[in-house]
Amino acid sequence: MQEFLQYIFSGITNGAVYAVIALGFSMLYGSTGLINFAQGEFVMIGALSLISLWKGVNLPLPLAFAGAVAITAIAGAMLERFAIRSVKKPHPIVLVIITVGASILLRGVGMLVWGKDSHGSPSFSDHAPYDILGATLLPQSLWILVLTLGVVLGLHIFHKRFLTGRAMLACAISTKAAGIVGIPTEKMVLLAFSMSAAMGGIGGVLIAPLSMSSFDMGMNLGLKGFCAAMIGGLGSSWGAVVGGLLLGVLEALGVGFLSSGLKDAAAFVLLLLILYFRPSGLLGTASVQRF
Amino acid sequence: MRYLILMAGVLAAGFGLSSPYQIQLLTFIGINSLLALGLNMLMGYAGQISLGHAAFFGLGAYVTGVLTAHFHWSPWLALPVAILLTAAAAFLIALPLLELSGFYLGMGTLGFGMIGYVVFRQWSSLTGGDSGLVGIPSLELGPLSFADAKNYLFLVWAVALLCIFLCDRLIHSRIGRALRAIHDSERAASSMGIDTGRLKVHIFVLSAVMAAIAGFLYAHLVSFISPGSFDFLVSIRIVTMVVIGGMASVWGALLGASVMTILPETLTVFTEYEMIVYGLIMITIMIVIPQGLFRGILDIYERARFRTGSIPAGPQA
Amino acid sequence: MNAQGSGQEAFLPVLRLEEISRSFGGIQALNDVSFEVAPGAIHALIGPNGAGKTTLLNVITGSCPPDTGAAFLGDCRLNGRKPHERVSLGIARTFQNIELFGSMTVLENVLVGRHVKTRCGFFGAMAGLPGCSLEERKARQRAHELLDFVGLSEAADWRSTDLPFGWQRFLEIARALATGPKVLLLDEPASGLNPVETSTLCDLLRKIRENGVTLLLVEHDMNLVMEISDRVFVLNHGMKLADGTPCEIQANEAVISAYLGRERMGGKCSACAI
Ligand SMILES: Nc1ncnc2c1ncn2[C@@H]1O[C@H](COP(=O)(O)OP(=O)(O)OP(=O)(O)O)[C@@H](O)[C@H]1O
Ligand SMILES: [Mg+2]
Repeated sequence: MQEFLQYIFSGITNGAVYAVIALGFSMLYGSTGLINFAQGEFVMIGALSLISLWKGVNLPLPLAFAGAVAITAIAGAMLERFAIRSVKKPHPIVLVIITVGASILLRGVGMLVWGKDSHGSPSFSDHAPYDILGATLLPQSLWILVLTLGVVLGLHIFHKRFLTGRAMLACAISTKAAGIVGIPTEKMVLLAFSMSAAMGGIGGVLIAPLSMSSFDMGMNLGLKGFCAAMIGGLGSSWGAVVGGLLLGVLEALGVGFLSSGLKDAAAFVLLLLILYFRPSGLLGTASVQRF
Repeated sequence: MRYLILMAGVLAAGFGLSSPYQIQLLTFIGINSLLALGLNMLMGYAGQISLGHAAFFGLGAYVTGVLTAHFHWSPWLALPVAILLTAAAAFLIALPLLELSGFYLGMGTLGFGMIGYVVFRQWSSLTGGDSGLVGIPSLELGPLSFADAKNYLFLVWAVALLCIFLCDRLIHSRIGRALRAIHDSERAASSMGIDTGRLKVHIFVLSAVMAAIAGFLYAHLVSFISPGSFDFLVSIRIVTMVVIGGMASVWGALLGASVMTILPETLTVFTEYEMIVYGLIMITIMIVIPQGLFRGILDIYERARFRTGSIPAGPQA
Repeated sequence: MNAQGSGQEAFLPVLRLEEISRSFGGIQALNDVSFEVAPGAIHALIGPNGAGKTTLLNVITGSCPPDTGAAFLGDCRLNGRKPHERVSLGIARTFQNIELFGSMTVLENVLVGRHVKTRCGFFGAMAGLPGCSLEERKARQRAHELLDFVGLSEAADWRSTDLPFGWQRFLEIARALATGPKVLLLDEPASGLNPVETSTLCDLLRKIRENGVTLLLVEHDMNLVMEISDRVFVLNHGMKLADGTPCEIQANEAVISAYLGRERMGGKCSACAI
């Protein structure tokens, strides 16, 4: 029981991070129909920037947090402005190659900037761990859960209450129609890219204290975030959250009988299974574009 | 004609070159050409992507490696097994994924590539895990030993040329046109009676099988394989070869493979910047000339030629 | 091409739709539409924008399965058959927004249309079997004939997307004819054509019919429709509004108020001379 609870705690903690990454995929897909293969690299940039700003430059944590997220948001905006927008014929294969290229480019830059070593980060606060029914709950887990909830609510309010958010939803439904009624669609795409990158960055900031961060951490996390988004149904915010938590818990429970190397493979097998059998997501009703 | 020139070139190079390093480089270009050609059939012609081709390459290498090194099979028996296994894996991957749009295929093949890599690393009782698989014998055919580097060079290039020849034929056939039709407009292709789903699965399998053959040749060349040779970056390298060489050009695949084999060897500083260079190449070429470098130049030339022709009268009934 | 049926067979509809409905979310694009297409005739399908005409063609070609209802080609039930299977059964189409294979030449575009009439597979092509080369030569010959037929033979080696817009429509027709259809569905073939090209198109459509191909034509150009069609079918808001000869349609009050407008009334009615 105690062990089980421990697995659940760590699963939910990791799952919340996956959820934030998945949200980034989901909202970009929702507003532009794109899947960004560089999403995982934004997670890497977020994590490593936080460590540099907080521990390297000695900024206070909130400032370092904001700075790391701002850096990823700018990286996302640059990806849109200098690469995606210049594409003449947006055939999916072209966009896949460009974002994969961006992912590998960012990884290379990350290796130059932060080196090949792993970097660790302390927890956000140095409370003692809580003891619940014999299982320990780290304060960092609470931070992660609270911040994840904040991101989800923030996104929800942005879409529902703010004019810009509603305009973005309008673009998602029909870019052409949105353009006709005077919504600056190009700016919306730019904003969507930087917001989704920022979410990747937040994911990175949250995960930094949980495990060691290095330039090549992005792909695993990116794929897992995508897997979570697919579980919940790509394009749905709440689906992304549920998918992330579900993936995290499943993974944590799997640790009991899988070695950690195989654990990663298990998430990818799950991804393939979902793509095969329920491409619209376990929970989602959104239809996947089939040819 | 072009084949004769290329064949003469390879023969001349083979007999002319004396440095083992250069011979090995040329052999690797041959193997990489096979990889690039296979992926080009999928990406350039059918317009479908695979970000996990290194796994098929690795499957070919590991199947023959395990069968020959552990179970002492003859490599010539291991080859068909490697091909069949890879084909079966590709078929299973392709069947459901190719029904979905390009992004999902990208993610799915990426995931498959990761699974392959994890399996090569973790199944250590068979694959030797991270420390690799040693003792893969070199090829022999009757009295002919391919342990000799020059002989191996000729073998690799004979296979590569044969594949280029066969793919060239395929492209200029009914099937090749159907593939290009799928790339241009899937809707219009199916309205012409093309079974797009089936054809995409077939070309995916063909592409994977060519990677497996490359893996077979690679394993028996180096006699030692480890998971690092089949990781994500290798998949990306193959994609970059196709992007450089030009989507939809069998000869471009050769060019892409040559550039991507020679470049890292000549620029020693390259390792630091390898990923940045690949990334920049992929992004820039896709934005400026999405058909790829080689194909793009060819297109400009072709268009210029037709523009100078006389203007026909147009439809008259 | 298929010779026109004779005797009793001529009365069997070549294409039949039974109570087809299809909705997209809240929009009922087609609502209980039934109609029959007689062999060897030119049928026109008209209706205001958004009436569901293209959706109806998509239902026939299989790219958009209906919610309810059935479609038949001759006696053959089409429901559940994939779009590509329907092409080999004898249904060909053109698109409202031209969809040519942009990387190919004009000739190659038509050759793709021969796909269903040829057999050569992966291995045959790679091995270069004599049967394949022979088949390829025949296909090329047929493609050249078809380009001649629509008047594009001189542009055979052009990149298809380099053709002027109007010619692209003719190329789409040639490409569709290459599949050897029984029924040819044309989605607004005259839109974007100049008057000269439209009259060329009119002659071409008649020539196609003379070759025994049944035509179903979606069109907004009323002069063309009234001049060329044997029967006109009017769709409005996804529902059948009227069905009859061009003369009957031109006199139909419901059609006039919904669609044609008053000023059309005085228009010529050459087809009604009979
Ligand atoms: N794939 C789709 N998804 C959602 N709605 C659709 C889809 N296809 C068609 N519709 C809707 O169905 C209705 C009928 O569309 P359709 O294209 O069949 O009209 P049409 O008669 O061809 O019009 P036009 O003369 O403009 O070509 C329209 O309201 C359209 O918005
Ligand atoms: Mg229409």
